[in-house]
Amino acid sequence: MNPGQQIWTIARLELGRVFFSRRSFWVYLLAIFPSVIFIGHAVDASFKARRWGSDRKVSAEALNRVQSGMTDEQVLQLAGKPVTDTTRKRRPRRDDDPAAEKQPDVRRYMMYFDGKRRVDLRFEDGLLVSRNMRDLLNFEEDRKVYAGMFQFFYLRLGIFFGCLGIFINLFRGEMLDRSLHFWFLAPVKREVLLLGKYLAGLIAAALIFGTGALFSFLAMVLPQDGAEVQTFWQTIGPEQAFWYVAAAMLGCVGYGSIFLAAGLLLRNPIIPAIVMLVWESINGFLPDVMQKLSVLHYLQSLCPAPPPLPNDMPAIMKMLLAPAAPSSVPLAVLGLLALTVLVLFAAMQAVRRLEINYGTE
Amino acid sequence: MSATEIVFDNVSKFYGDVLGVNRVDLHIPPGITSLVGPNGSGKTTLMNLMTGLVHPNSGVIQVRGLSPFAPEKLMKIMGYATQYDSGPRGATGFDFVSTGLLLHGFTKADAQRRAWQTIERVGLTSAAKRKVAGYSKGMRQRIRLAQAIAHDPEVLILDEPLNGLDPLVRAETIALFRDYGASGRHVVLSSHVLQEVDVFSDQVILIANGMIVAEGQIKSVRDEIHEHPSQFLLHCKDASRVASLLFAEAHISEIKLAPEGQGLLVLTRNREAFWAALERIALSGIDIDGVIPTDENVDALYEYLIGGGR
Repeated sequence: MNPGQQIWTIARLELGRVFFSRRSFWVYLLAIFPSVIFIGHAVDASFKARRWGSDRKVSAEALNRVQSGMTDEQVLQLAGKPVTDTTRKRRPRRDDDPAAEKQPDVRRYMMYFDGKRRVDLRFEDGLLVSRNMRDLLNFEEDRKVYAGMFQFFYLRLGIFFGCLGIFINLFRGEMLDRSLHFWFLAPVKREVLLLGKYLAGLIAAALIFGTGALFSFLAMVLPQDGAEVQTFWQTIGPEQAFWYVAAAMLGCVGYGSIFLAAGLLLRNPIIPAIVMLVWESINGFLPDVMQKLSVLHYLQSLCPAPPPLPNDMPAIMKMLLAPAAPSSVPLAVLGLLALTVLVLFAAMQAVRRLEINYGTE
Repeated sequence: MSATEIVFDNVSKFYGDVLGVNRVDLHIPPGITSLVGPNGSGKTTLMNLMTGLVHPNSGVIQVRGLSPFAPEKLMKIMGYATQYDSGPRGATGFDFVSTGLLLHGFTKADAQRRAWQTIERVGLTSAAKRKVAGYSKGMRQRIRLAQAIAHDPEVLILDEPLNGLDPLVRAETIALFRDYGASGRHVVLSSHVLQEVDVFSDQVILIANGMIVAEGQIKSVRDEIHEHPSQFLLHCKDASRVASLLFAEAHISEIKLAPEGQGLLVLTRNREAFWAALERIALSGIDIDGVIPTDENVDALYEYLIGGGR
């Protein structure tokens, strides 16, 4: 058998154990979490649209004619009975206006639905003072939310900890199970064994998180307005889907190599996890050269849309979450692969020196 | 260095501050070689060194001209039945053996055919599809042996291979070692009881505290050993019947019930006659679940053989 065949044989033998390892079953939860969120959002929107639209749907034209300063009766005459209608009386504090104690504020809240948008109206003392219109499903807003979720949760936490769970167990887990000698007694170079195990972990992680990225993207896009979705797929949709999936898979390539090496070099997985998490978080503060030693730096450069950073976000959070200066896409891919090769080379040196000494585990 | 011997040239191994083995010089020719020493003496370290599972701090090891640092070459000619109980998680006995063969480059069909043949050879066919984790100690010994011999190695390394085997399997296993040794291969096995291995070894290496204290042809020490009675623990359900049958043997000098009803403690002056008697009893249909040498005089025997070298 040539080394390529040996790598594939080892990967095949390992795949089942990687996919169905009880020790890292929680990885699946990390991968499906964004899909669950977006499916939940879509189901909620669909449920509300059905409930509100069944007998209280108002024309968009009528709602557009509702203006500030109108009385509640005028609005009722114009738009008809709202979906919800609540009245609250607010008693002013004595020090505000002692004379008003016997005349409480009357606030009335009405909510209308035109089939797509919900309109919340607030009346004070019978006059419309606030009108808030929101799409039940807003494609542009949801895409921003997806971009934020992908960069802040999926890349930084989901794939990061998922790869920690999968790759660190490839050697560390065998040490704990006292079964690593089985592999070391096979007629294969240690480097080949390492690459075989890495390939098994990579196939599993890339499939789990690549599929997770694709499903969550589809869960975000498909429930939107049909015409918008069609336009999206005819323009930037396929490219965005591709790069989200590619970024997820390349994240597995990079983080996988690092946690595989960490599993060989360190006994306690908490330490590399914390060090890496801190390193990736402060990446934005580091000089350019140091930024190139971060997986997240390359992954952020591959993401097709920037994440939203609200203006009211604390400055320190903004600094931690803001992406570092991006590289071009080819540079990002090549840089990430080069970093991976470097880490795998270090892991090969470590695995050649590794001894079976279960007594100290 | 010799291409037919296992050679240790001034090899030392330390685990941090703890001594594994110290300045070991050995030339092990083909045939059956037993490493004998008390627990913690360095037997497993020697085996792990020659298989590359641990690396020496100093010195050179060659196995039939191959370095343990080149597993891709060495493991093609070597099989190692370790003392470690675990195999790949969730593996059945059949998986355990056939997976090892796939790593040796056999096709799936060949690996399966060889796995079945080897499993049959160690008498585990009916349990082959059960998980190794559910095997008894003796069954685990046998499946590890099957995995070690499945690719027909030239060098067979076995760590305490007779522990926990019942008399019939033990006799079959020893016959297998003899076959291997007689065909010009290396069989290196370890035991902490010299009397256990003297009947079939071509040579013995006595090791204590990480140092080789004696080595040579077993014949020269065998006569000395025979003068010392040996004690065995027999695990069996019908202890009183086994005891009455053994009492009829002239070489048995004492039989007593083991503490906590574990079986019988038997003292014999002739080990070969004792094993023959056990085989007769087992063949007569009485179950003997296991035989463990528990000779408490092994320390005295060491001193006797090596002149107080321990």
